Amino acid sequence: MHRGKGMKFVGDSRVPAERKPNVPKDYSEYPGKTEAFWPNFLLKEWMVGAVFLIGYLILTVSHESPLERKADPTDAGYIPLPDWYFLFLYQLLKYKYAAGDYVLIGTIVIPGLAFGALLLAPWLDRSPERRPSRRPVATGLMLLALISITYLTWESVVTHDWNKAAQQGKIITSKVDKKDPGYEIFKGQSCIGCHGSELSGGSGPSLIGTGLKPEEIMKIARKGRGAMPANAFKGNDADLKKLATFISKQKK
Amino acid sequence: MLQKVYDWVDERLDITPLWRDVADHEVPEHVNPAHHFSAFVYCFGGLTFFITVIQILSGMFLAMYYAPDIVNAWESVYYLQNQVAFGVIVRGMHHWGASLVIVMMFLHTLRVFFQGAYKKPRELNWVVGVLIFGVMLGLGFTGYLLPWDMKAVFATKVGIQIAETIPVIGPIAKTFLSSGEIIGAQTLTRFFAIHVFFLPAALLALMGAHFIMIRKQGISGPL
Amino acid sequence: MSKEDISRRQFLNYTLTGVGGFMAAGVLMPMVRFAIDPVLAKEANQDMVAVTEVAKIGDEPKRFNFKIKQKDGWYESEVTLSAWVYKNGKGEINALSPVCKHLGCTIDWNTDPGHPNQFYCPCHGGRYTKDGTNVKGTPPLAPLDVYESKVKDGKLYLGKAKPRKGA
Repeated sequence: MHRGKGMKFVGDSRVPAERKPNVPKDYSEYPGKTEAFWPNFLLKEWMVGAVFLIGYLILTVSHESPLERKADPTDAGYIPLPDWYFLFLYQLLKYKYAAGDYVLIGTIVIPGLAFGALLLAPWLDRSPERRPSRRPVATGLMLLALISITYLTWESVVTHDWNKAAQQGKIITSKVDKKDPGYEIFKGQSCIGCHGSELSGGSGPSLIGTGLKPEEIMKIARKGRGAMPANAFKGNDADLKKLATFISKQKK
Repeated sequence: MLQKVYDWVDERLDITPLWRDVADHEVPEHVNPAHHFSAFVYCFGGLTFFITVIQILSGMFLAMYYAPDIVNAWESVYYLQNQVAFGVIVRGMHHWGASLVIVMMFLHTLRVFFQGAYKKPRELNWVVGVLIFGVMLGLGFTGYLLPWDMKAVFATKVGIQIAETIPVIGPIAKTFLSSGEIIGAQTLTRFFAIHVFFLPAALLALMGAHFIMIRKQGISGPL
Repeated sequence: MSKEDISRRQFLNYTLTGVGGFMAAGVLMPMVRFAIDPVLAKEANQDMVAVTEVAKIGDEPKRFNFKIKQKDGWYESEVTLSAWVYKNGKGEINALSPVCKHLGCTIDWNTDPGHPNQFYCPCHGGRYTKDGTNVKGTPPLAPLDVYESKVKDGKLYLGKAKPRKGA
C-alpha cells in the first residue's frame, strides 16, 4: 500500500483516495488444507448451526416452558429450588462443613477459590505445555471439579421431592372463596402456614376435597392427626365450627 | 444500485478492508470438521454466540408483553404464554436457550481449558471469557425471578440469603439486591433492570473484546 | 483466477445465503408472529350494557355515563364511557360517541354560543350537527361514531361505537 509523501486522501479526511479493490483472495492463496472463512468455513459452521437450531426448536415446541402459580411470599411451606446450573452450589450448603458455623466455607471460600482459580488459570498453569497429559495438576484439578459438580448436582436432584414441588407450584384454578367468614378464621389461625393460602397444601396436606364432615375436621383441629400437633386451633367452638364447615365445603 | 450505494460509502469510509479481513482470513486445517471430525469441539463457542443472539432477540420480543411489576408480572407471563400466538414458543426459546447457553459455554470453556489454549499469549482473552461466564450466570439468576411465580421468588430468597452470609459487605449486598428488607416490588424492578440493561450491556462489551482478540491473535494451533 | 474457481465460490455463497436465511427465518418467524398478534387478533365482542330507561330520553341530546368491563391483555378493568342520546323526529333513539373525530377530544352539546344546537369540540372548534354529521369547514373529517343500540324492557342497551360512512 502506498503510504507517506504524496498520499492522496478523500476530501479532508484520513481515508486514502486510493481504494482497495473489493475482490476476494484467490483460493490458491490458501496453503495446505486451510480455507477462506467466507464462504467456505462459515458455511460449515452455519450448517452445524442449522442442525442445532432444528433440535432447539423441537425442544421448545415439545416442552412447554414451566410456569408455576403466582408467587405467594408468605407460603412458608414451599421448598425452594434454584435453576439447575446452581444446584451444585445449593447442595454444597447442605453439608455440615459448608453450613452452620462453617457457612462461609460453602458460600465464599469454595466458590471463591474455584472461580478465582478459573479466572487466573493462565498464571497458575504457566508451563508452555498444552497437552492435558503433560500438565497433570491442571487437568487433575479440573477433572476433580467436574466430578464434584456432577456429583453435587446429582445428589441435589435425587434428594429433591419433585412430585411434591410440582404439587406445590401448580397453578390452581379453583378459587377459594376468601370472603367466607371461615377463611378469615383460617387466616387468623396458624392453618395457613402449613396448608397454604389457597388451602392447596404446603408442608401440610391439601384441604381441598378432603371429603371430611365438619365434625371430623373439628376433631382433627383440636386433637391433631399425623404430623399435625394437637391444639393447633386456638379459639372458641363457634369459630371452629365455622372453620370446619368452610373446609368441608371445599370441593375439587 | 446497491453497488453504487456501496461504492459511495466505501469511497468515504474505506469499509472494504474491514470486512474483507474477516471474510478472507485463513481458517487452519485442524479446526475444520471436513478434515478432522474431532474438530466439532471448536463449534461450541460459535453455538454459544448463536444462542446468545437468539436470547437477545427473544428477550426483546418478550419485553413487548412483559410487565415488571409484582401485580402484573405473573399475569402478563401467563397471558403471553397462553393467549398470544407463538407465545409458548418464544418464551420456550428464551427459557430453554438460557439453559443451553450455559451448557454450550461450559463445553467451550472445557475445550479451551483442556487444550491449554488459554496460555501465552491468550491470557487476557481467557480472563474475558471467564467474566462472560460470570455475566451469563448473573443473567440466569436475575432472569429466574422475572416470571414472579413460586419457584422464582423462593429461589431468589435463597440466593439473596447466600449473598447475605458474606462478611462485612453481605448485608449491604442483600439490601442492594433486594432493594429493601423483603423480596418484593422493588426487587422485581431492580432485577428486571439488571437483567435487561446492565448485564446485557456488560455482555456485549465483553463479547466484543473476546471477538476482537480472537481476530487479532487467531485461533490456537493444533496440539 | 480460473473460471471454475468463481463458480465454486458463487455456489458456496448461494448455499451460505440459503442456510443463513433458513436460520434467520427459523429464529425470527415465531417471534414476529408473536409480536404482530394484536394486529391479527379478532376484534373482541362487547356485551351490550344497560344505560338508561327509555323514558328518560328526550329530543334534546343528553349525556349518559355507563360502565363497561374492559379486557386489555392481562389487565381487566371497569371503564366509564359516555354517550349523547336523543330521540330523532321519527322517535328512533340515536346514541353518539362523545369522541371528536378530529383528534379525540371530548365534545359537548350546545356550548358554543355562536352555533347553538350543535356539538362543539373545545380543542380546535370542531362542530357537528345534532345527528352527528360534521360541519364542513371545521377540522373533523368524519361524522361522530354511533353506538350499537337496542331497547329491551324499556331500557336502552349500548354496545360498541362504530364509525359511520360519509362526510
